[in-house]
Amino acid sequence: MSGIQVVLMAGVVTLFLFYALRIKSAFVNVVAMFWFTGLAIFFILFPDYTHKIAHRLGVGRGADLLFYLCILLFLFVILKLFARIRRLEAHLTTLIREKAKSEAFQTGSKNEHAPLS
Amino acid sequence: MVIVPAFNEQEPLQHVVKELAGAGYGVIVVDDGSQPALLPSLAAERIHYLRHPINLGQGAALQTGLEYALEQGADFIATFDADGQHNVADIARLLQPLYQGECDITLGSRFLEGASHNMSRARKLMLSAARFVNFLFTGLYLSDAHNGIRAMTADAARQLRIKENRMAHATELLEQIRRKKLRWKELPVSIVYTDYSKQKGQSGWNSFQIFFDLLLNKLYR
Repeated sequence: MSGIQVVLMAGVVTLFLFYALRIKSAFVNVVAMFWFTGLAIFFILFPDYTHKIAHRLGVGRGADLLFYLCILLFLFVILKLFARIRRLEAHLTTLIREKAKSEAFQTGSKNEHAPLS
Repeated sequence: MVIVPAFNEQEPLQHVVKELAGAGYGVIVVDDGSQPALLPSLAAERIHYLRHPINLGQGAALQTGLEYALEQGADFIATFDADGQHNVADIARLLQPLYQGECDITLGSRFLEGASHNMSRARKLMLSAARFVNFLFTGLYLSDAHNGIRAMTADAARQLRIKENRMAHATELLEQIRRKKLRWKELPVSIVYTDYSKQKGQSGWNSFQIFFDLLLNKLYR
């Protein structure tokens, strides 16, 4: 077993424990995470299998295949994050707008600084 | 009623408000999170004052103003930039076709015959690019893009809902005009670019930001 394999496996297992301890209640999530962790450890121990899959897909090395998949994944995550940011912004805007409207008032009149109902 | 969205336009806004109030319009100032707040400099005039506690952008300020104006029972609503580049007399010209029931919304244009401006060539070029982008996104080919002076009926205002908080709202507005089949018209207006409005206005870089916002708007509508 090479050094990098130990490091990667330690990382993956730590992530899993962290996740499992945090989200005890969502049982399905933990099971899914468990399978992903198992898969990761399998490919870390036997990297030759990623080579085989890569060859099937017409990619030279397993590491390259992972790299390409990661790019796709990141693009997807970025799009999702943008969507979430826009949603948050919309919520924030609604809140601020309601506040601004409820606190609106007329200046230069008798009821100065008194909110109009 | 005239909506003036404002962000840190302390001095020019005072003039704008004075002129608008002097012309007999109900003025709604939407202070979009200015620091310091714009109220103290405006307290002498009779206006409606709304304040966003944080800066959201001109689109958000306009939408807030529109909703408030409708709540106040306004029959006709105009929008006006706070930096003093518009001419108050133009509002009456924009309102005229609305009174006569010719259309639902009128847009100020800097390029129609009868309009006047003191614009640099670079800016002119950039605006024609913006017109083309507007056309791509909305299908409306106007003589001007992103001009802050407009007028609409209460009924049109009720149908519009600006969701783009920042500058992309100008294009979003056109798209909604088309989708809701509002009757629109462009009218020539005069613009005076002061040093202040140039410095405060949209730079070339901002147009990329607008373009990006528009893309996202299409993506996640």
